Amino acid sequence: MLLRIDPASTEPLFAQIGGQVRALIARGQLPAGSRLPPARELATSLDVNLHTVLRAYQDLRDEGLLELRRGRGAVVAATRDRTELQAAIDSLVRTAHSLGVPPATTISLVKEALR
Amino acid sequence: MTALPARPDMTTPDGGSAEPPAPVPHRVLTALLTLAVPAALALVVVAVAAAWADDLPDLVAVHFRPEGPDGFGTVSSLVGWTVGGIALAALVSWALGTFLGRTGMIRRIAAGLGVGMSVFLGGGSLGLLAIQRGLSDPSLVGDVDPIITAAMLAGVAVGALAAWAVPPDPYRVTTRPPPADAPSLPLAPGERIAWVRTAGSHAALGIAVGVAALLLVLALALRTASLVAPLVLVPVLVVALTQVVVTVDVRGLTVRSRLGGPRLSVPLDEVVRADVTVVAPLREFGGWGYRTTLDGRVGVVLRAGEALEVERTGGRRLVVTVDDAGTAAALLNALAARSRIA
Repeated sequence: MLLRIDPASTEPLFAQIGGQVRALIARGQLPAGSRLPPARELATSLDVNLHTVLRAYQDLRDEGLLELRRGRGAVVAATRDRTELQAAIDSLVRTAHSLGVPPATTISLVKEALR
Repeated sequence: MTALPARPDMTTPDGGSAEPPAPVPHRVLTALLTLAVPAALALVVVAVAAAWADDLPDLVAVHFRPEGPDGFGTVSSLVGWTVGGIALAALVSWALGTFLGRTGMIRRIAAGLGVGMSVFLGGGSLGLLAIQRGLSDPSLVGDVDPIITAAMLAGVAVGALAAWAVPPDPYRVTTRPPPADAPSLPLAPGERIAWVRTAGSHAALGIAVGVAALLLVLALALRTASLVAPLVLVPVLVVALTQVVVTVDVRGLTVRSRLGGPRLSVPLDEVVRADVTVVAPLREFGGWGYRTTLDGRVGVVLRAGEALEVERTGGRRLVVTVDDAGTAAALLNALAARSRIA
């Protein structure tokens, strides 16, 4: 898996890591049972604090996407197939683009609808 | 593992693929460890056997069955076979280290093999003679198992020591970015990026299960409790050593086993270029595992198919069979290019 983080971004580092792992799982690139790299190694690779990666992993565990086990590390949990959701999102993004709706507005609308 | 610190005395600029590959390093030390040390040990065996000749029976026991010795030979024939065995181990390991030893790990294996085998063979033979001193009838000799076990342990220990004494590759940086035709991917300035992938062999998992089943049957049939340790250990080791984690990040390429070690790494400064290749294990590497070829490629070959091939300074090449190798190669080239522009 390829993870990119931008230290200059306003989004916190743990949220950047969590967001990318979430997207990889949603797109099926990290199927259930895949093992994520140990937090310590990923922290060294990305040159971030260990607790930043742990925080990202813990958030994903709280969402039910990861299982964290002592000794076994982080493993992607079995979740329902989300390809349908991904397809809906793709279509949402396309529609927003074609109508010229700015991303911030689209996100606000989605947030409102999810409330 | 972080990249080795730059030591100016050991750092040589390296132009990469355009220039002829540097010669295999540390050939004198390789010859010392794989030829001189075994030769010295062979001499010790000859000298000690000669000194003991008067105390030994005319024919000594050289082959054993659980009930006792069943093969006998002269002292000189035992010494002859021992020296011959040491010579063979020495020549094979010298050739391995001298002709294929561009990568430090190969020179280590060669030194460990040459010295370890010599200690095992020489120590085993001398031990065999030692327990027969003063005997008039060699068939009265005591238990040989402790001798062989001790010789084996000594061989492993001294071999490991020799391997440890081998210096790692000199740190050769290249300042030239990867060629334009090498795969690459765009990097944003200041972006931190890492690629991690597990690679493994499904066949090895099957073999581990098979070996465990075989050991279980043997342990039950022979009622041998001592087979229980390998029953657990062998499959765990097989799985641990055939499942590797491959990482590409700002430090370069790291390949490590699930156990954490052994690990191989290519510092980013030593990456000449990275590519995707397709590996045919039997035809190119003569099998699976940690392999080396006659043209000096070193491979972590766990399955057939897609692999990452990294050309490294000093004419070294590392091949790792891993999925999504294209992304890994592109990232390695991109990171290498970024680090050399500044």
